[in-house]
Amino acid sequence: MSALEVKGVSKSFPGVKALNGVSMTMQAGSIHALLGENGAGKSTLIKIVTGIYQPDAGEVRMNGSPVRFANLRQSAAGGLGVVHQERNLVTRFSVGENILLDRLGKSALSRVDYPAIWREADKWLKLLELDVDPQTPVTRLSVAQMQLVEIGKALSQQSRVLLMDEPTASLTPNETQVLFRILRKLRDDGVAIGFVSHKLEEVFAICDRVTVLRDGQNACDSADMKGMVRGDVVQMMIGRAERITARAPRPMPSAPPLLELKAYASNLGHRDIDLTIRPGEILGLYGLVGAGRSELAKAILGLARQTGGEVRVAGRPVQITSVAEALHTHGIGYVSEDRKAEGLILMHSVLNNSGITIWTRLAGKLGFLRDRRVEAEVSPVLQRLELKTPSLQQTIDNLSGGNQQKVSCAKWIAAGVKLLIIDEPTVGIDIKTKAYMHDLIHELAAGGTAVLLITSDMPEMIDVADRIAVMDGYRIHGLVENDRNYDRMSKAIMGFIHGREAA
Amino acid sequence: MAQPFALGPTARLFDNDWIGPCIVSLIAILAISWFQPAFLSSFNIFVLSSAIAVNMVIALGQLVIIGIGQMNLALGSIGGLVAISFVGVMEKFGIPVPIALAFALGIGVLMGMASGYIIARTMISAFIITLAGLQIFKGINLGITQAQPFYGVPDGVKAFGQASVLGPLPWLLVPMLLASAGVWYMFNRLRIGRHILALGANPHAAELSGIDPKVTIIWAHAVSGLLAATAGVMLVAKLQIGQPTIGDDWLITSFAAPVIGGAVLSGGRVSVGGTFFGVVIIAVITQALVIFNIDPFAVQIVLGALILWAVGINRLREVRIAKLQSMGAKT
Amino acid sequence: MTGVPRSSQMPATPSRSAVSMRVLLSNEFGLTALIALTAVVFALTLEGFTSPFSLFAMGRQIGIDTMIGLAMMAVIVTGGLDLSVGAIGVCAAMTFGWLAQTKGVPVLPSVVLAVLLGGGLGFINGFAVVKSGVHSFIITLASMSIFFGIMVFLTKAAAYNGLPAEVSAFGKFKFFKTISPLLLISVASCIGLALLYRFTVLGRQMLAAGANARAAELSGIRTGRVIVACHILTGLLAAMAGLLVVARTGAAVPSMAGQLGQDWLLPAFLAPVLGGTLLSGGRVSVLGTLLGATFVNVLTSGLLLMQVGSFWILAILGSMLLAAVFTDRARQVFLKSRGMI
Repeated sequence: MSALEVKGVSKSFPGVKALNGVSMTMQAGSIHALLGENGAGKSTLIKIVTGIYQPDAGEVRMNGSPVRFANLRQSAAGGLGVVHQERNLVTRFSVGENILLDRLGKSALSRVDYPAIWREADKWLKLLELDVDPQTPVTRLSVAQMQLVEIGKALSQQSRVLLMDEPTASLTPNETQVLFRILRKLRDDGVAIGFVSHKLEEVFAICDRVTVLRDGQNACDSADMKGMVRGDVVQMMIGRAERITARAPRPMPSAPPLLELKAYASNLGHRDIDLTIRPGEILGLYGLVGAGRSELAKAILGLARQTGGEVRVAGRPVQITSVAEALHTHGIGYVSEDRKAEGLILMHSVLNNSGITIWTRLAGKLGFLRDRRVEAEVSPVLQRLELKTPSLQQTIDNLSGGNQQKVSCAKWIAAGVKLLIIDEPTVGIDIKTKAYMHDLIHELAAGGTAVLLITSDMPEMIDVADRIAVMDGYRIHGLVENDRNYDRMSKAIMGFIHGREAA
Repeated sequence: MAQPFALGPTARLFDNDWIGPCIVSLIAILAISWFQPAFLSSFNIFVLSSAIAVNMVIALGQLVIIGIGQMNLALGSIGGLVAISFVGVMEKFGIPVPIALAFALGIGVLMGMASGYIIARTMISAFIITLAGLQIFKGINLGITQAQPFYGVPDGVKAFGQASVLGPLPWLLVPMLLASAGVWYMFNRLRIGRHILALGANPHAAELSGIDPKVTIIWAHAVSGLLAATAGVMLVAKLQIGQPTIGDDWLITSFAAPVIGGAVLSGGRVSVGGTFFGVVIIAVITQALVIFNIDPFAVQIVLGALILWAVGINRLREVRIAKLQSMGAKT
Repeated sequence: MTGVPRSSQMPATPSRSAVSMRVLLSNEFGLTALIALTAVVFALTLEGFTSPFSLFAMGRQIGIDTMIGLAMMAVIVTGGLDLSVGAIGVCAAMTFGWLAQTKGVPVLPSVVLAVLLGGGLGFINGFAVVKSGVHSFIITLASMSIFFGIMVFLTKAAAYNGLPAEVSAFGKFKFFKTISPLLLISVASCIGLALLYRFTVLGRQMLAAGANARAAELSGIRTGRVIVACHILTGLLAAMAGLLVVARTGAAVPSMAGQLGQDWLLPAFLAPVLGGTLLSGGRVSVLGTLLGATFVNVLTSGLLLMQVGSFWILAILGSMLLAAVFTDRARQVFLKSRGMI
């Protein structure tokens, strides 16, 4: 009898089939890796298991009996502990109260027994070797400490099934080792642990079984990891051997730099940033979550205050104070990593989303604007991007992730920007569109656009970028010319990141 | 590993929400009594305390809803309907005071629960639901009374509203103290209070942690209804009459005092002590305008300005705290 | 058509029945049907409902309520709100009274100055909201108190009763014995606003900033300025609504919108919400607001003719606001379940 079993689960959203007959079997006393590229369906699967989504077909079983949770509260009550990817702490509350937030008392009018809470919470903090008083407000913790509190919260429920979505994203190697020790102990005590991570080294270090998803389907279902090597897993994840597609060698652009940052510092915490991007060049900006990459993009766009150094656009020193200025004066555009919150206006049409950057330019007297004029400008771009939509009036929320991403690029192409900053361009989109996005970036660069590519996806970075700058802790730690040799490049990049840690 | 950074004792004192409003109200009282010693006469203290007592309970009614990150526009209309029902059942049906009181407070709770239930069930913005509630309760109030007051307030109730419990301090302060202590205890010691604040501070996290948002929202509105009802009854005792207009002018005060007291309107951060000093500041300034013979309508201007001032201060403090935090996170 | 290739995997182009279903489920259609139904029932059962004077009075009040609703709608677009519309309306009305009566300024320049004052007050609101980053609720709660307080302070709460004769003549004027110029002014404003949202850059920027301020900002829209513009528009429209009330009563009265102007809040929210304007911003229906105000007034005049007390009508209108948001929610759920939005 397995602790948690997923059988033939399918789930569709408008325009996309997120999961198609997916299965997974988690055994007690085992650490089970759930792998897949961005958009493969991992998070959808976790949301179905925990009751946030309801499956269209298939079933979830715990200890042999079918379960169907209507929401997270029910799944928690049903013995499912989850460490979510996003932070879920009430920052004004104490560490202890956060850990035991759902167990403050039996009824609404129960008195909260704080001494008992501090005692109980302290137990879990000790276990995690987190040297923090449980009475400390969460606001005073570092990001890594918050992450550990989050893990403590899930552990304290003593669930027999524990799902962890990227629990190590903001932990140092030392903290990760502590976590792994605890996970191994829990495993030996018979807990079934699900482990989602992008870091394959960690997966091989701790997991004994693996389920890989690709395009919403099983690439493998609960296979034994014994005897597997990295290459096997990667092949399952991306559907081909890990090989960098042989792109035609690109001539190194020699035009004068379009954007230069010299000893740049921002009020967000960036220090000593030196970067140069030339027209036609693809500069990669690699770093882990929280390294300050998207923040640098936003700082360049004028959303943060420059506190030091120099910014030059086309050779002239500038101070950009708003996105409007970045776009209209300097021709800089930004494709956000968070399509739904920052990239698109989901409730508006394809036409309005792709034309938003050129309204001002197309407006006639008194600011009058006809849809037909916008359409005439936008249609060729959308056609070139092979956008699939029933009509331009379609609400963009109804398009698939890949098509949405095309629109969030199209608006900048239509605006004719000279520098396009692209942040995690392939999160949550299918393999085909992903390859398409990579071609598009190359096409843009070939046409003379400077591209600043931000991604945490190492193969993508090595496939697409010309040069790779490595960022950590809001500083640039190194810059390498990309020779498209995966092993050599990834070693070099990780060397820059870990070199800092060792110091 | 980085240790959490600590605040010094002075910084910790000034980190409290109530300290600012406390200092301001003390300065205001000292300044006014310097110019006008009659300000501290026992009669004036009695009048001032009565106003503070009622306004504090009103402000607490809003504070509970602010804690959860919502707003309650119907507060005044609940208080008004409760007030006329309280006097109405005594005058028309001769019901004894304790039963009438229980009835009045009960319908206050019910009206609050009704709003809360609809908000929790539909998740439509509390603003629009309580705006509708305001009109409905007010309409029922005027429909019943035809805009005429009920005069049948029993002597015991009248005495309660006018008698002093200790020197110049009115009896009305007693329900205020009970309500304040109750709300403080709820927010700091009871599960429901912690859940209200957690839900107000971070609804997503609260729900992921297993807090039931619906139940919590209904509770908050029920408590708010109870406090509005209490204030309505206190006003009946203070005014000696069941006025249908009771509650018409609660809106501004009910928001001004908590905001002056450092409450964050998006929820999760409230201060009972701060709200009390917010109420004191408002009462003192209102009273001062009367004493110095300034047009009473200037009160409106002052109240509005006070809200803006408090909002500005809170904002500055948030920025400062965020700065401290980012420093703490980097060390 | 669009020239964009169609796809087979995408949800198919809505079939004709789905399109007509969408029209049938739209707020505008629902309201029109409701108005027609109520009006026919009242016309058949209530004597005097269709009399020229009743129609004239109804139309005049529809004009006023529409203008109040438009004023609120203009700021709801941003996902915010403006509690001070009533206070702005009264301030504009009293300014007009002071100019036209005390200062002897001709009517038209007085109107223009009063409306501009409304725009100025709206600017103050918008500027404070954008600069402080505090929700418009609390800012306009404060400004409603301040605006109203200053108005009463300056006027000593006295009304302007001796306005030039043409003011009340304008309020009483009838086209074809039934149509008030007040209604025509509001309809014209509706057309103007519809053009603004549909055909101008500013209007589109308002909708974009309201739907998702962050995405709009990152697309190069100066969101702050756009939000200030929305508040200015609200101020202008609120001032016009105030002047319409002056035309109807023939005097500028400080209490015309109740304590602090709070009496306007119900009509201000009722008309747009009935009409399908989204409270969270980003979507408006100008026609819906007009229809919403119409429905409210058809119902109110019918109920008044049925001798229902005006106090109870207040409660009924409050319930209608609830019913409106419930219906809208149910409609959304239905359309979503059918994959139509």
